[in-house]
Order: sequence, then C-alpha cells, then structure tokens
Amino acid sequence: MREDDRQDLEAHRRLSNGDRSAFDELYRRYGGPAYGIALRVTAQELIAQEVVQEAFLALWRAPEAFDPGRGAFRSFFLSLVHHRAVDAVRREERLRHRTERASNLEMSVGEDPAEDVVHDAYLNVRRKEVGEALATLPPEQRRVLDLAYFEGKTQAVIAEELGIPIGTVKTRTLAAMRKLRAALGPEETG
Amino acid sequence: VTQDHERIDELLAGYVLLALSGQDAEEADRLLTEHVPACARCRQTLADLQALSGDLALAAPPIAPPETLLPGLHRSIDEVPLEGRSARRGVLVALAASAVAVVALGGLSLVLGTRLSDAETQTGTALEILSVMRSPGADPVSLDPQGQTPAWSGMVEISAPESRRLYVASDECPEPTSGKAYQLWLGSEGEFVAVGEMFRPRDGVVLLELEVDPSRYDEILITEERVGDAPAEPSTDGPSWWATL
Repeated sequence: MREDDRQDLEAHRRLSNGDRSAFDELYRRYGGPAYGIALRVTAQELIAQEVVQEAFLALWRAPEAFDPGRGAFRSFFLSLVHHRAVDAVRREERLRHRTERASNLEMSVGEDPAEDVVHDAYLNVRRKEVGEALATLPPEQRRVLDLAYFEGKTQAVIAEELGIPIGTVKTRTLAAMRKLRAALGPEETG
Repeated sequence: VTQDHERIDELLAGYVLLALSGQDAEEADRLLTEHVPACARCRQTLADLQALSGDLALAAPPIAPPETLLPGLHRSIDEVPLEGRSARRGVLVALAASAVAVVALGGLSLVLGTRLSDAETQTGTALEILSVMRSPGADPVSLDPQGQTPAWSGMVEISAPESRRLYVASDECPEPTSGKAYQLWLGSEGEFVAVGEMFRPRDGVVLLELEVDPSRYDEILITEERVGDAPAEPSTDGPSWWATL
C-alpha cells in the first residue's frame, strides 16, 4: 500500500473516533479535487459547493461507510463526490433549472488549478497518470466517457446525442474503461 | 460464459458511471443481487471499475473551495454530536435501491434483494437499511416536518439516479391517530400521487417496498390519512414529513 493511502487510512480511523483534526486533514487533501470534479460535473458553483459540503458531512456522520478492504479512501471519497454531483445534475435537469451551463463551465473550470489549492504530491502524480491515460483513448471512446462521467448523461442519452446505437455506446465505454484500467493498474486494497 | 461476461462487464462499466437507464439499469440491479456476489471475477471487475471511477475525478482540475466552506462544515459538525453518529433511533427512511448505495456499500443489494419478502426478518432488515441509509453512499436527505410538530425526528430520505424501487423504513414510528394510517406520496412539479397502500407501524417498525422509479419524482411526502379514504391529495391537517428527491 502506498504511503499516501496509509495516511488516508490513519486519518479516516481518527475521524471515525471523532477527531476533527483528521476531518480537516482530509478536507485539505480532498477539498480541491472534490470541488474540482463537482464543479466540472455540475458547472454551477453553488450546487458544487453543496455537493462537496454534503459529501464531507456524510463522511463525518457515517465514516463506517468506507471499507478499507474495498480499496483506497481516495477512490471511495471521490466516487462519492462524483455520484452526488451526477445526482445533483439530474435533479436539476428534472427541475429544468439548468441554465448557461456551457458558459459557466468555460469560466469555472477552463483554467489551471487555483494557486491556493493544496498541492498534494501523490494526487498530482496520479492526476498526471489519469490525464495521460485518458489521452491515449481513441476520440470516440473518450467522447462517450466524457459525456457519461463529466456530464452525467446516461448511455441512452449519449446514443441519442451522438446518433449511434446504444450498443456502440456500451462497447466504447467498456473499451475505454478497460484501457484506462490497464494503464493505471489495479486498485490496491488494504 | 465469456460472451455473458462481456455483456456483464458492459453493464458494470455503465453502472459505476451511473450511466444506465431503463432495462439496462434493471438488469444491472439483478446482476448485482444475483450474480456478482457469487462471482469472484465480477466482484474484482466491479472493484476495479469503481476504483477507476474514483480516480477519473482527478482528471478535473482541483479547485480550492470557497473559504467559507470549511467553517460552515465545522458549524454543521458541531450540530452532530459524536454519540449521535450512526445512532439507531427515531428515524424514518425512504431508501431507493440505488447504484450509489451499492457502489459505496458493496453487498447492500443482496440484503435488499433477498430478505425483504421474508416477514420474519423484516425488523432485522429494517435495521440494516437504517444503518445503510446513514452511509455517505446512500445519499441521505432529511425529511422535514410539515405543519404541526410531528412525533418523529431525524427522518432521512435516500435516493439516487436510475433507481426503480423505493424502500420506506422506520424503527421508531409512532402509531397514527385512531382510524388513520400513513400514506406515501411522490411529487413531480408540485403534483403528488399516492404510492402504495396505507401503512401502520408494527411495534414501531415500518418496512415497505415500492415498485416505482424515484427518478420521475422530485418530492416525497408522508401524511396521515383516514383509513378507507382514497385521498386524491395529501391531507394538510395532520402530521406529515417531506423531502426533495
């Protein structure tokens, strides 16, 4: 297990015992990535803030939901944030309150990371690896993955938008995920 | 078998991305309750895909949250006493069997899929659901009391995209007024429809399974209604609890 993952585990253990400094430690480490993905998916600052706030509060209220035997804390928590962000986007869609998504996206996430983000060495390395792995995907695979993951669209919607059979969307999605998994390596568990 | 697993892998990939809908989502739910728990290959595939899904978040540039967020979190944390975390008391839950819950919690779907029909285990299942619903992956949202002060407190609703089942559970549900029972309503753009039969707690325990698609609705409401009536609209003169989905 990587040292960074061990530190996360220890912080999570302390947080489970009610240690607020451990909560702050995890917030310092994952607040930036969490807000980054939440803003990328929702494209609305207030909603993204709610997503991040809810995710950290959920972690505090029920830390036992993370099972170290199932993988790294990083994956668990960022998945949680992503799921909440997708949920928020779809809720917004249902309420038809989404406006100016594209322009917000340009303004909010089109720039380099803010200087005041805590630069975590390992996360930066992993981010680079993820970016490089994504860059190796064929454009058609990258497209379906982007639409699903970063825009929260279902495969049925993606098929309609791209004008391709849903079976093709599924095939491309799986091919992309397999390629990324091969490039990034299997998850180490505790 | 290889061809079957190719199909399963496609569904699992869509599942961890929360990208399934319709029959695909239903098939994934079935797989996650019936096949995956017993298949080491699929369990590993699912774990790998879930880990990958988490790491994909790193592809978005990190952005410092507003400075007000952490102080706000501290204030919220102060409102959650340590002894209150995961306490099994006084909670009403509406739990949609969900991708999010299963992703975060592994074998949850097995619990939901196999035990709810067994009346003898309903109490135990309710407690498991209550435990699950307090987990981050289950996306709890407070149900707010409406109208007069209700007897319940700390009510929570759990929902997630691409769900087609809704569970309602409580381990400390008060008896309704004589001659009345509880009715669950789901709302969309302000229009509510009654869902399922009216219900009463048994020894404080409520456990309902409803075949609905929560994604079609944006509100959940529980009201007290007169037994024998078929109310077209939620009653407004009794205790009720509400949340957005």
